[in-house]
Amino acid sequence: MPRKLLVIGLDCAPSEIVIDRRAEFPVLDRLIGGGLHGKMRSSDPPITIPAWMSMTTGKDPGRLGLYGFRHRTGYSYDKMWIATSQAWKERAIWDVVGDHGGRSVLVSIPPSYPPRRVPGELISCFITPAQENAYTYPPQLRTEIEAKFGPYQFDVVFRTEDRDEILKEIYAMTAKRFDVIGYLLETRPWDFFMFVEIGVDRIQHAFWKYSDPEHHLYQPGNKYETAIIEYYKYVDARIGELLARAGEETAVLVVSDHGAKRMKGAFCINEWLIREGFLTLKDKPQRGASIEKTPVDWRRTKVWGWGGYYARLFFNVEGREPQGLIAPEDYEKEREAMIDRLLAVRGPNGEAWATRIIKPNEHYPEVRGDYPDLMVYFDDLFWRSAGTLGYDTLYLAENDTGPDDAVHAQEGMYILYDPLRKGSRRVDIDILDVAPTVLTTMGLPVPADMRGKVAGA
Amino acid sequence: MSKEFTTISIPTALYRKIEETIKGTEVSSVASYIAKVVGEALLKAEAEPEVFNKEEEEKVKDRLKALGYID
Repeated sequence: MPRKLLVIGLDCAPSEIVIDRRAEFPVLDRLIGGGLHGKMRSSDPPITIPAWMSMTTGKDPGRLGLYGFRHRTGYSYDKMWIATSQAWKERAIWDVVGDHGGRSVLVSIPPSYPPRRVPGELISCFITPAQENAYTYPPQLRTEIEAKFGPYQFDVVFRTEDRDEILKEIYAMTAKRFDVIGYLLETRPWDFFMFVEIGVDRIQHAFWKYSDPEHHLYQPGNKYETAIIEYYKYVDARIGELLARAGEETAVLVVSDHGAKRMKGAFCINEWLIREGFLTLKDKPQRGASIEKTPVDWRRTKVWGWGGYYARLFFNVEGREPQGLIAPEDYEKEREAMIDRLLAVRGPNGEAWATRIIKPNEHYPEVRGDYPDLMVYFDDLFWRSAGTLGYDTLYLAENDTGPDDAVHAQEGMYILYDPLRKGSRRVDIDILDVAPTVLTTMGLPVPADMRGKVAGA
Repeated sequence: MSKEFTTISIPTALYRKIEETIKGTEVSSVASYIAKVVGEALLKAEAEPEVFNKEEEEKVKDRLKALGYID
């Protein structure tokens, strides 16, 4: 039977907080003091979906065929699909555990709606549309959880500027999730237990500007200055309670899917494409209009984009898109020319940007699914991308879609504490190393198609 | 690394038939027509039951927009 291992997923937690400020978190400090720890390079792209999938399958997004929450449907102009648990085609850690007679309990690992049959039990994640949807495997787990704890809370409402309300909700959601996890730890047979706490991501996005003196909207002495750190202290204490119930010989992995840093602003990618002559609209759009709801003159459009934490660019190619313009033999030349233009983009005050650009079909050893023609990280992700339209500027000081002060960083963190092999050591790893490391720690064989290394081996 | 495009051969008669079919339409070339029709047929063949109904999909999209993941 496999050795027991508990994975504590803290979505978006950066090493700059968890490891660099470890003295403020007694439980995490003890784990760091006795285990391997360091930065973990996330996937490309470093987004919740596909990062958690990349981590638990040991496969990169190219192999998974997943590049974010949404994807273009084939080569259509305006149809898209949202990644759900049905997008998991690859085997994950818990499938290997199941092959060897072990059972897993999985809580809110994105994407886990709709709940799939797993060798164990599962509660789904924040892409569950509503409380009324079936959200557990087996189905009766939901009845049991709700009887003891009331309705499970997947996420917080993020459409309000009321920061006090967001804070209250984040704590309520986290408290309940940890209560449910503590209950499952004690009452379920398990060998592998993994959960993702999304509150860490939410509190950082909502409160970063209040605590980071380098954020352009920071004001010293504000009332939310310690909101993020106080939350981490709360989570640290709750982790301590879980560890007391997890078993003395259980190995523990604390891990994030990517890091966080201040947002400098949003770059209006489609406005820029219009100005550069690559995108033509039929009508003048309203401020904040989505491109898929805006009539585009496809016969006069070569490139259009999607926004989010990174930009995706799509090329209008003859023989591929319905009203393609670029000849296939010119495709690579056009891509290279676009890359040059993108790298020349500067900030609002003429400042140089450290923009990173990825050609998916060259970046991943194998590329599947509905991938964009280019992936663009403006100024190393410091500038998010606004794909919405109707602005008279290329630069927005704030997010175009909701209250948000932080962006993602390429590197998250991890702490691997093995009570049978204690010893503090700093070793930076890659996200593809997590699954092989977990399986090896559990005494299980690593499938040949997981490319990563075992940490510290 | 994979090339983005590859070449196939089709019967000339079929090519001419497609040329006639797309005359006066918005489809810009025979290759575009083939890519569109075959792409749609494949999607239909691979189609799994929809996870979200229309209302649920809009709800999830709105949530993801407010969270900053999509726009």
